[in-house]
Amino acid sequence: MSHIALQDIAKSFGPVRVLDGCSVAVDKGTVMTLLGPSGCGKTTLLRTLAGFVEPDSGRVVVGGRDITDLPPNRRQVGYVFQSYALFPHLDVAANVAYGLRVRRVSQAETQARVRKALDLVSLSAYADRYPARLSGGQQQRVAIARALVLEPEVLLLDEPFNALDAKLRLSMQIELRKLIERVGITSIFVTHDQQEAMTLSDRVAVMRAGRIEQVGAPIDIYDRPRTAYVAAFIGRANVLPVDIRGGRVAPDPAIAAARADGAAWLVVRPENLAIENAGEGPGWHGTVAFATPQGATIEYEIAVGMAEPLRVVALRKVGEPPAAVGSPVRVRAVDPAACVVLGEGPDSV
Amino acid sequence: MTKNLAPIDRIGRVVLGVVAAFSLLLLVAPSLIVVAISFEPRGFIAFPPSGFSLRWYEHVFANRQLTDSVVVSLWVSLAVAGITLALGVPAAFASVRGTFAGKAAANAFLLAPQMMPGMVIGIASLFFGAYFAFRASNAMLILALSVFCLPFVIRIAMARLAGLDPRLDEASANLGAGKLETFVRVTLPQLGPALVAAAAFTFIEAFDNVTVALFTSDVRGRPLPVELYYLVQYDSTPAIAAISALEIGLSFAIMLVLARTVGLERLGR
Ligand SMILES: Nc1ncnc2c1ncn2[C@@H]1O[C@H](COP(=O)(O)OP(=O)(O)OP(=O)(O)O)[C@@H](O)[C@H]1O
Ligand SMILES: [Mg+2]
Repeated sequence: MSHIALQDIAKSFGPVRVLDGCSVAVDKGTVMTLLGPSGCGKTTLLRTLAGFVEPDSGRVVVGGRDITDLPPNRRQVGYVFQSYALFPHLDVAANVAYGLRVRRVSQAETQARVRKALDLVSLSAYADRYPARLSGGQQQRVAIARALVLEPEVLLLDEPFNALDAKLRLSMQIELRKLIERVGITSIFVTHDQQEAMTLSDRVAVMRAGRIEQVGAPIDIYDRPRTAYVAAFIGRANVLPVDIRGGRVAPDPAIAAARADGAAWLVVRPENLAIENAGEGPGWHGTVAFATPQGATIEYEIAVGMAEPLRVVALRKVGEPPAAVGSPVRVRAVDPAACVVLGEGPDSV
Repeated sequence: MTKNLAPIDRIGRVVLGVVAAFSLLLLVAPSLIVVAISFEPRGFIAFPPSGFSLRWYEHVFANRQLTDSVVVSLWVSLAVAGITLALGVPAAFASVRGTFAGKAAANAFLLAPQMMPGMVIGIASLFFGAYFAFRASNAMLILALSVFCLPFVIRIAMARLAGLDPRLDEASANLGAGKLETFVRVTLPQLGPALVAAAAFTFIEAFDNVTVALFTSDVRGRPLPVELYYLVQYDSTPAIAAISALEIGLSFAIMLVLARTVGLERLGR
């Protein structure tokens, strides 16, 4: 049974329906990531779980207990705010100690736990600084320490690492992941960074306009996006209009499609396309519009007469020059089985 | 730094300096003159004073009626500061954080007394009291002055509250604190300096208010400003200057204490 269950949550702010029958379930001790464009309701969903937003309908269940009507301070749900929300009149140590003080934990234990929490986020040297004198990334780490020090059963993090540099971000991700596993925290966490989603989460939920579009293990979502929207959101994808004829995709019959003849959409990742010499044969015919060597790979944009160019990522050998811009080429799928055929394209909502 | 300034900028600086000095002089000079006059040994007001004596200070402290009125004024001002804080802070909360129908109207209503001359409030209180057969008294004075001063407190508290991040309250709740504990641990400490400032300004305002007090105060236990008002009419001696000098000293002392405890620059916030 799942530890956190948000069931059919709906919420409107005035005429705007921000959450539209949104359901999420998270198993105990696992990390769920919410991915979605700005304004799709990720923060509102977390706030509903923390009790800051009263849903118009739907239930919030944690550990088998319906907490929909419980006030925020009686829910054991840690929350790291997108805007940090540190107490400006308290120094770093006092900010982290806040929850312990409220719980009347003894002075000695408070000090020990605060020190440990600050160590975890590498901020021990800043214990007596005030938030106004910290950088954005430091404030963010204080906010994380403040929530973690209580070792909550449920932890919600709203873009907790967006102010950190790449190196710190990675080490915080790893530390957080270890801590979550050690303590057995069930967490939901919002990010715009799909790399982060891959690193940190057991499952990913892709949100769209107040609903969950698809939930699954990150790699499953990457491999088997159910809609063009999801495909474009996790990793990069070419979403191409194609014709189905006799269970085969028209330009490249190597790709099988288990659907009736007619128009359809093909999702194919850039690394699953390869450039071949021009000439007669199956595939997409076009010319090289852009070629950018990136070190290990070369990124191509191939103009094939569609609205969007095809994006192709090819492995690069040392010393090999990229195909010349303007030269005619033919593009084919490397692994036809890894392509996904969908009935609906990117524009249909 | 000044070396690199263009001549026009340099002239501008000089003009600015002169204007600033002159304005400062205009602000401070009357107070200084009053203080100087209070040391006049003779029995009439003269500037510059013909000598130095503390005679009029002795006179003031020996005057039972005057010292009584000071005590009345102190009590009244303290009461007004207390009442306006007790009413003003919750009102400010409601008008900043609250979501209810007619909030804008309620806000306008709360701040309305500020638009009204004190005299009007004084007379209105008198008539209102008379209607209920409630005579002018210090209780009425306290009520009328509270009405008069309430908008100050609400204004200051509102300005500060509006600057507070409501997420902080959520963070506090999320960390387990109830509403009251959040207020004590998070809101109050940040509101503190503004409230001290509000209390101090209200106290000073109540202490030297004449317009309201003239109509509402008790005939026997008159507050200081009213007492002075009558005093000047019959008996224009440097005693008035001595009292004024003492009041200036009191305001100064309050400001000094504020500056030392909360810091003047934090008061405005
Ligand atoms: N208290 C509120 N009152 C009115 N509208 C709100 C409120 N909170 C959120 N909204 C609206 O709800 C929508 C979703 O907001 P939300 O903060 O949940 O988005 P988000 O997915 O977290 O976006 P981002 O990635 O930019 O943080 C937005 O259109 C926002 O304007
Ligand atoms: Mg958000």
